[in-house]
Amino acid sequence: MWLTSKIKQILMVLKPGVVTLKYPFEPRPVAKDFRGQPAWDHHKCVGCGGCAAHCPARTILVRDICQELRIMIYDGARCAYCGRCADVCPEDAIVMTEQFELATGDRDDITVTMELFMLTCQRCGRCYNMETTNMIDKMELKGFRYDHLEMRAVIPKATERFDAKVLEATERYERPRT
Amino acid sequence: MVMGIVYALVNVLVFVLLAPFYDGVARRLTARVQSRKGPPLRQPYLDILKLLGKENVISAEGWPFRLAPLSAFASILAVIVLVPLGAKANILSHRADVITVVYLLALGGVSVLLGALASRNTFAMIGASREMMTMIMIEPVLAMTLIMTAVKVNSLGLQGAMAGVSASGFGLSTGLMLAVYLLALQAFVAKQPFDIAEAEIEVLEGPFIEYSGPNYALFKLSMMLKQMFYAFLFVSVFLPAAGTGVYPLDILIQLAAILAVFVLIAVVGSTNPRLRIDQAVRYYAVLIFLSLCAVGLALKGL
Amino acid sequence: MLAKLCKKAFPRSLWVYHCNSGACNGCDIEILNILTPYYDVERFGIKLVGSPRHADVMLLSGAVTRPTLPLVKKAYEAIPAPKLVFGIGSCAVGGGCWFDTYNVTGGAATAVPVNYYVPGCPPRPEAIIYGVALALGLVDKKAAPVELKQVEFPIDAYERNKAWEERNVIYELLKH
Repeated sequence: MWLTSKIKQILMVLKPGVVTLKYPFEPRPVAKDFRGQPAWDHHKCVGCGGCAAHCPARTILVRDICQELRIMIYDGARCAYCGRCADVCPEDAIVMTEQFELATGDRDDITVTMELFMLTCQRCGRCYNMETTNMIDKMELKGFRYDHLEMRAVIPKATERFDAKVLEATERYERPRT
Repeated sequence: MVMGIVYALVNVLVFVLLAPFYDGVARRLTARVQSRKGPPLRQPYLDILKLLGKENVISAEGWPFRLAPLSAFASILAVIVLVPLGAKANILSHRADVITVVYLLALGGVSVLLGALASRNTFAMIGASREMMTMIMIEPVLAMTLIMTAVKVNSLGLQGAMAGVSASGFGLSTGLMLAVYLLALQAFVAKQPFDIAEAEIEVLEGPFIEYSGPNYALFKLSMMLKQMFYAFLFVSVFLPAAGTGVYPLDILIQLAAILAVFVLIAVVGSTNPRLRIDQAVRYYAVLIFLSLCAVGLALKGL
Repeated sequence: MLAKLCKKAFPRSLWVYHCNSGACNGCDIEILNILTPYYDVERFGIKLVGSPRHADVMLLSGAVTRPTLPLVKKAYEAIPAPKLVFGIGSCAVGGGCWFDTYNVTGGAATAVPVNYYVPGCPPRPEAIIYGVALALGLVDKKAAPVELKQVEFPIDAYERNKAWEERNVIYELLKH
């Protein structure tokens, strides 16, 4: 009874043979609607900043650096590949590609930088400048909106807010001996 | 005299160089039973080489921690030098007998315990207590096997006892002992369903939890040598010798038989779950009783 | 000579220790997936071990939370040299969605020096195998930084020169 069930088990496992995929040596297709790394099309992007406003990990940062230039940086380190940026883009400039082979030794390898040309006003000849026009736009500055490039420097990290003594105590942590 | 020394050296070389190969065969077969492509056959050689190249972290003070892997490796190496491979006694076979072999194998087990208890780690202590229980229950079966063959040839010498069936014929006692040995083989080589203490890294870290690098390589090599020795013991005692008289051919035939035993070990090991220590102890008690019956039958002359 | 043999054997037999520093277990499940027969990673010689002392590689998943920070450091120190660290998943690469919360220190790089990052949420098992193959030297790296420009200005203000940097210090943040 026990022996026959073991023999039956061995015959059963011999039927499928070896099922291992030869993955790194043969490419592997992805499922339909798979969300890999997002890709921007700079011909279509208008620089609205919608993707930056909707990113849950605040991984897309937008900033005007001079009169007609807006810089957008996608810093792929924190991206959760949720696809909200692609959903919200009004020009369909963002496409979630099928690229998932993103392993790298350096986090700067998965960044996308885009420089956008912003149009000037036909009447005054300047670009729309957020900080100085009105109160509502001033509220959208630091502290209220995180998608400005300046925020990249002030995003607080928990280790920087630690009490120095607490942080030092963690260096000398010892497992309790009972 | 010179040939005696040559035979002893051949023993050591054959065992040390081929034990990882057999372990690789067992791993690959386990993988195939699990429907996957396993590691290449030379994987255990690469494992041991890699472990030898790592830093040796001594995480417990005192000499037992450092002594344990060396004494485990030394004891199994001593057993290997003594046994007659290819049915040729070597220079040391006359100086030892069956009791020495049992003692040296027990010394190997005690070294593992020494290392585990010197680690001062709770998981290692649990592993050590299970290893102790396993050893206490399974060493008698090994001793009864060797004593039964010694009784049949009326001497405790190694040459006669290890020749087993070829020297004394196949009787009822030998048949019973064959069945008991096969049932206990998985416990001897510490594979499922009985690898409760040693290789049990998935369920609870074993007694080797604090060892790293070269120390761990020595432990692993001594485990592989122990596996190969137990398979060799089965082949030498229970299978009739080929008797071709040509020494290399004898060795090759025995190695092929060891390969068949390893195939059996791998297949049984990969299709069985791991038992709990109390279930295993009950199983071993039955085995001890049966082995005593086999020795009794041998004494009666059957 | 033995040392050279040992160095050559090192990439063929990597033993892996899996450390979860506050992950949601998505990445942990994907790590367990690559040990299953379908994606079998043991054909590269990789084995999962339970003790950091036996391991060569630490697979770190999860944004390193405040309570686990000293423990991750301790586990890293317990691994004997030579060792590698892989950060698996977006949380380990940069802190994930929670990079600025009160309990998260921001990813694997704040605790241990990381050798390879495998982004994804969770990364596909193929992506983790790709990272492993990259570490072993079997494949080439595919990720590269992308720079897109809508139009190239031929004016001086557009150049990244010293005058520009003095005028607008925000531009320096781009070199984070």
